[in-house]
Amino acid sequence: MADQAPTPESDEATTAAVHLQLGALTRQLHDSLNGLGLTAKVQTWAGEIPDAKSRLSYIARLTGEAAEKVLNQVDQAKEQHDFIASETRRIGQLIVQDPVAAVAKGHVMNFIDDVERASKQVDEHLTAIMMAQDFHDLTGQVIAKVVNLAATIEEQLVQLLIQTAPPDAVVKAPPTHEQYTPALDGPVVNAEGNPDVVTDQSQVDDLLASLGF
Amino acid sequence: MSKELRFLIVDDFSTMRRIVRNLLKESGYADADEAEDGVIALQKLRNSSFDFVVSDINMPNMNGFQLLGEIKKDEKLKHLPVLMVTAEARKEDIVMAAQQGAAGYIVKPFTKATLEDKVNHILTKLGLK
Repeated sequence: MADQAPTPESDEATTAAVHLQLGALTRQLHDSLNGLGLTAKVQTWAGEIPDAKSRLSYIARLTGEAAEKVLNQVDQAKEQHDFIASETRRIGQLIVQDPVAAVAKGHVMNFIDDVERASKQVDEHLTAIMMAQDFHDLTGQVIAKVVNLAATIEEQLVQLLIQTAPPDAVVKAPPTHEQYTPALDGPVVNAEGNPDVVTDQSQVDDLLASLGF
Repeated sequence: MSKELRFLIVDDFSTMRRIVRNLLKESGYADADEAEDGVIALQKLRNSSFDFVVSDINMPNMNGFQLLGEIKKDEKLKHLPVLMVTAEARKEDIVMAAQQGAAGYIVKPFTKATLEDKVNHILTKLGLK
């Protein structure tokens, strides 16, 4: 027997059936979560997911800024290095041509001053590159919090799966792992409009000064 | 010539310990040791001699507040200046650190100048510089 072509009426009927089925499933999930006392937990996860998103954005921003900072400092340090190299070649030629004149005309002393200044600048760039690595500490703390959230959600979902599984199903619980619970809040990922946190060192100093420190 | 001051840098991130150590060296304080949490720091402080502690707050095992509390409770250690260098930016944490006897508080990320200023300020105040 040939298949009947779908009519607009049959399409409508199918859509309505799917809607009904989805509604029933949603209701069933809602009732199950309620019955298991998990509604509040699910609401907590839902609230924490935007927080996790802003934490991940913070990590992306900090690592991006660090990379940018390092590349800029390397560019500037390389310029200084090129300057030292070319000046060394130039003064070398002057000394070979006329060593007495090179000293007497001040070329050698000028070169020494230039190299000293350029070396100091290179050192400053190296310090800035080192300081840019502080993102590791800050993002590390934030990553630990996001990992902790993911682990909590995973454990709760597994628990839900075990509790709602048919009686004959064999569900192997994953090994429990020690949770990393940061003792404190760590870096403030979004300080805007939060009067309880400071955003820079001057605010820390002002606060301590107001306390007489 | 005055005695070289000895620093203990306490932070669970090795990167930050290296940064602080290098900055102190650049500022003329080359004698420094490191500890990765409050427990190890306390052991080192009790077994060796230090003049200054630079400590993070958020660390496993024993956090910076607990370490500060232990230092200030200990008759032999309570004179030690403790500079908190931390990402904890809540005002109540800063106030708590000051009340517990911290000599200074720096929020991460910080600059070389900030660390140098705070260390020198504390040392001058204590007559160690």
